[in-house]
Amino acid sequence: MKNYIDFAADAFWNTLKGLWVTLKVLFLPAITVQYPTEKIVPYPRFRGMLAYDAEACIVCGMCVRACPSKCIALAKAAPAPAPVPVEGQPAAPAAKPKIAWYTLDYGRCNFCGLCEESCPTKPKKALWHSLDYEAVFSTRAEMVRSWKRGDDLWGTARNTAEGQLVPVTDQIHIQSVPVRK
Amino acid sequence: MTKETPTAIKADQMFINFGPQHPSTHGVLRIALTVEGEVVIKGDPDVGFLHRGMEKLFEARTYSQGLILTDRLDYISATHNNLGYCLAVEKLAGIQAPLRAQYIRVLASELNRIASHLVFFGTFAVDMGAFTPFLYAFREREMIMDLFEMLCGGRLLHSYVRVGGVSADLPAGWTEKCREFLKFFKPMLKDYDTLLSGNPIFRSRTGGVGVISADRAVSWGLSGPVLRASGVNYDVRKADPYCVYAKMNFTVPLGKNGDCFDRYYCRMLEMGQSVEIAFQCLDALAGAELTPGEVMAKGVSKMLKAPAGQAYAHMEASRGDLGFFAVSDGGLNPYRMHVRGPSFINVAILQEILVGCKIADVVAILGSLDIVLGEVDR
Repeated sequence: MKNYIDFAADAFWNTLKGLWVTLKVLFLPAITVQYPTEKIVPYPRFRGMLAYDAEACIVCGMCVRACPSKCIALAKAAPAPAPVPVEGQPAAPAAKPKIAWYTLDYGRCNFCGLCEESCPTKPKKALWHSLDYEAVFSTRAEMVRSWKRGDDLWGTARNTAEGQLVPVTDQIHIQSVPVRK
Repeated sequence: MTKETPTAIKADQMFINFGPQHPSTHGVLRIALTVEGEVVIKGDPDVGFLHRGMEKLFEARTYSQGLILTDRLDYISATHNNLGYCLAVEKLAGIQAPLRAQYIRVLASELNRIASHLVFFGTFAVDMGAFTPFLYAFREREMIMDLFEMLCGGRLLHSYVRVGGVSADLPAGWTEKCREFLKFFKPMLKDYDTLLSGNPIFRSRTGGVGVISADRAVSWGLSGPVLRASGVNYDVRKADPYCVYAKMNFTVPLGKNGDCFDRYYCRMLEMGQSVEIAFQCLDALAGAELTPGEVMAKGVSKMLKAPAGQAYAHMEASRGDLGFFAVSDGGLNPYRMHVRGPSFINVAILQEILVGCKIADVVAILGSLDIVLGEVDR
């Protein structure tokens, strides 16, 4: 009986000591972030949603080869006809290859960053991870982003109601201008 | 796979499926329990619900792509998996990582060890019915995840350690932030002791439960804190030092009884040692002899071709001795990649130590082994 009372007193005393630890925290400011109204902006190296610049891309296909889950596909546009050489002037340099279409399947993406690392485009990369982490998809078709020349950085996704490719408008919440490396 | 037939159960016994959707199995582990009243007669862990065929997937990927898969093994301590894989591939291809990269590797893996043990501390307390420590553990873990986010961009799946070094040097201001965290964290360990370790309710709930003797632990091939809690002094960081652990000054905490409390307390003491190692790494990184920016071995291509042969490298992950065995036929992909997952081997002893314990202690024993099902099932 005495053991039991000793144990109960010991447990009670140690619970009070534990409560003292929690009491100390009570007067500190809250560390919780109220997500939908407050948003944390991640650090510059954060690997968020991918942004792609169709004009800067040189269609080398390094990102396709680097991707471990094979979620990137692309096609080269037919080269523009070479300009007719003019007498007495040096021949015009060959036009850089341009993209016809570029697709990226977020359903398979690992967000590992190997595609961004392999991108050789200078001075700015054509494909990079933005800081945006708000990725919401309601259908599988929406997960496949596609880009053509003239599209913005977030590309287009297939609208399942009409089956049309429409620009992604609700992607940018974290920051209006994505960080470029 | 376990096979149980209704006829094998006697009239006064009962068959219980513990999991795979039970919250305290920390994943998708099924334990087939036969109980008589409250006493467990037989308990068989049944694994494989999260099997993704990782070892086969390695064969279809290049060495740099395979690294991404290793994050998904033990997803709570991703850096350890990255490091184990890189050590094996570097041994296979004969690459030597620069010294600065090796210090960063040790620093990152010790931070990850703290984060991983904090998850254990929080979830084990929740399993035992104490909710408060969970909030403290996850507050500190969030700080480590912020450090990793700053370092490599990933919060949970880092892919930071690469074949030949690390993906990037420490960003500006990171060292100060890391020191600040470590200084904040060190006294917190005392608070944890007050909250949980010193609490007699918790001690009587875990003390003397699920005892594993030293020779039993060795014969089952256990490793990590589960082995050291039984009093066996085996730590890969000391026994077979990799990276710069040979230069580090730290002790390996050992348990005495091998019960749930010792397994718990070994991890708590290990966190303190990890803080010490992290401080030593930060001091060395601030030294002049390590050139900033030199974090990748020269001449390591993205399309790495390892010469034909085989290599085995192991390291101390937060759950035990993690080994990678790589076989190459000289091509771009590994011919075979085998993973020695410590969780997978640690979970096997359940069938022996569960017999004879109370059904309420099953949760305590399982929680104290601290398994991650991503690594058990691979």
